[in-house]
Amino acid sequence: MWNAVMSGFDWLIGAGPTVMLPVIITVIGLFFGLKLGKAFKSGLTLGIGFAGIRLLLDYMAANLGPASQAMVDNIGINLDVLDVGWGSIAAVTWSSPIIVFLVLSIFAVNIIMLLTKTTNTLDVDIWNYHHMAIVGIMVHYVTTNIWLGIGASVVMAITTFKIADWSQPMIEKFFGIPGVSLPTVSATSTLVLAWPLNWLLDRIPGINKINVTLKDVQKYLGFFGDQMVLGLILGSAIGLLGGYDITTSLQLGVSMAAVLVIIPKMTSLFVEGLMPISEAAQDWSQKKFKDRKLFIGLDAAVVVGNQDVITTALILIPLTIGLAFILPGNRMLPFADLAIIPFRIALVVALTRGNFFKNIIIGLTTSAAILYAGTITAPILTELAGSVGIEVAVAGSALLISSFSATSLTHSFLVFFAFVGPLLVTLPVMIFIIAIFWYYFEVMKPNTRQAREQREKNEMEIEEQAI
Amino acid sequence: MKRVLVACGNGIATSTVVASKIRDYAEKEGVDIKTEQCKLMEVPGKGDNYDLVVTTGQFGGQVNTPVVAGLSLLTGIGKEETLKEIISYLK
Repeated sequence: MWNAVMSGFDWLIGAGPTVMLPVIITVIGLFFGLKLGKAFKSGLTLGIGFAGIRLLLDYMAANLGPASQAMVDNIGINLDVLDVGWGSIAAVTWSSPIIVFLVLSIFAVNIIMLLTKTTNTLDVDIWNYHHMAIVGIMVHYVTTNIWLGIGASVVMAITTFKIADWSQPMIEKFFGIPGVSLPTVSATSTLVLAWPLNWLLDRIPGINKINVTLKDVQKYLGFFGDQMVLGLILGSAIGLLGGYDITTSLQLGVSMAAVLVIIPKMTSLFVEGLMPISEAAQDWSQKKFKDRKLFIGLDAAVVVGNQDVITTALILIPLTIGLAFILPGNRMLPFADLAIIPFRIALVVALTRGNFFKNIIIGLTTSAAILYAGTITAPILTELAGSVGIEVAVAGSALLISSFSATSLTHSFLVFFAFVGPLLVTLPVMIFIIAIFWYYFEVMKPNTRQAREQREKNEMEIEEQAI
Repeated sequence: MKRVLVACGNGIATSTVVASKIRDYAEKEGVDIKTEQCKLMEVPGKGDNYDLVVTTGQFGGQVNTPVVAGLSLLTGIGKEETLKEIISYLK
C-alpha cells in the first residue's frame, strides 16, 4: 500500500508541475470542502497559469539573458542575476511537491494561534501563503529534510501573524481601514528592518526634525508606475549598455514591455484558481470564531493605492536601479519586481506617518537588503526552479534568477538562514531575536502606553483640582 | 452591457477576487456585465471609459465615473450592502 502511494507520488513529481498542480490543488480543495468538480477546475486553472508563466520566462531568459551578459562584457558590471518577478517565484512555490503539507501546516498554525489567543489575525488568504511556503520549500531543497522545511514555514507563519497583529493599529490609523491586518510577507518583511531603523532615526538630533514634502512627483515620475513604459525603457537601456544597435535595443525594449504586461495576467490565474479555496476557508473560520472580534488578514494590495505610498515608490524605483549598479557585491539586476516596490514600502510609509525623508532612508536600506539577499540565495532558487522545469541557463554562460520576493525578503531570508545554518547556533539566535520583538510589542509597548495614559489622566486631575 | 473597472494595488490579487464576486452576483441578479482589472495608479487614466469603478483600497484620484469602495467584499463584513450598491449602478 505504502509502496503504491510512494510510486504514485514519484510519478506525479516526474510528470512535472503542469500535471502535478491540478492534482495537488484538487486535493487541497477537497480538504477545504469544495466539490470535486470545482476543486479540479481550481487546480486546472493553476496548471494553466503555470504553463503560461513558464512560456514567458523562457521568452524572457532568451531575450534578456544574452543582453545582460552583453552588458557584463561591455561595461564590466556584473549583474547576472535576473529579477524574474514574484509571480514566477510564486509559480515555482505552488508547484513544489511538498506544498500540500506546507499549506495545511500554515493553516493549522493560524487556527491554533487563534484558539490559544496568541494572535487576532485570521489569515485565510491562501494565495499569500506562498510567501511563507517558499521558505520551507527552499529549506527542504537544501537540507532534504521535510521536517526542517515544515518547521521553517511554521516559524514564518507564527512571525508573520504576530507582525500583522503588531502593525495593525498603525495600519488602521494611517490608512483608515478598521478590522483588517495585513499578513502579507512581501509588505510586512520590510518592518523587520524599518522598526529598529525608525527608532534610531527618531533619536538622532537634527535628523528627527527633517520633514520634506514633495509635490508633482507623480506628474514627473509617473511613468515608472506604468509597466509598459518601464519595460520599454529598461529593456532598451540594457540593450544599449550591452552595445546593441538601436534597432535591436528597441526590439528588446518592446519584448520586455510585453513580458511585464503579460506576467501579471498569468499570475492572476493563480489567484483565480485559489479563490474558491480561500472562500471556503474563510466561511469555515468565520463561523468557527463568530463570537470573537478578529482582524481579517488581507493582501497588502488594499493599501498600496495610498498617494504617499505611490509617491515614495516612484522615487525609490530609479534609486533602486542605481543601487543595483553601485552596491559592491550585488549581482541582481532589478527588473520585473520594480513594479511592486509600493508593497515593499507601504508599511514603512505608515510607520513614519508619511515622512518622506525617513521613507527614502529606510527604503534605500531595505532595498539594499533585498538586493543582497536576492544575490546570495539566487543559486539555490535557480536550481529549485530548474527542478520544476524552469530552465534559464543561457548558452555558454550560467544565468541565475531571483526576485524581490521569496528569500530576498529580509524576514524570509533570516528564517531561511536560521534553518540551513549550523542549527545549534542559528535556531537559538532566531528564537532570541523573535523574543526581543515579542517582549517589545507585547510587554514594553503596552506598558509605556498605559503609563502615558495614566500620566495624562493624573495631569487632568491636577488641572481639575487647580480649577 | 455595462462595464466595471476593478482596481487594486497590483491589478492582480484582490481585484481578481472582487471582480469575480461582482460577476457572480450580477449573474445571480440577471444583470449582464463585463469586468476588467487594473492597478489603482491606472484608474485616473482609464476610469472614464467605464460605467463603474470598484476599488479595494484607498483611492485618492479623480474620475467622472462613480466609484464604490469594495473592501467589504474581501472582509465579508457588509458584503451584501456593497453588492447591492454596485448592482444599482449597473441595472
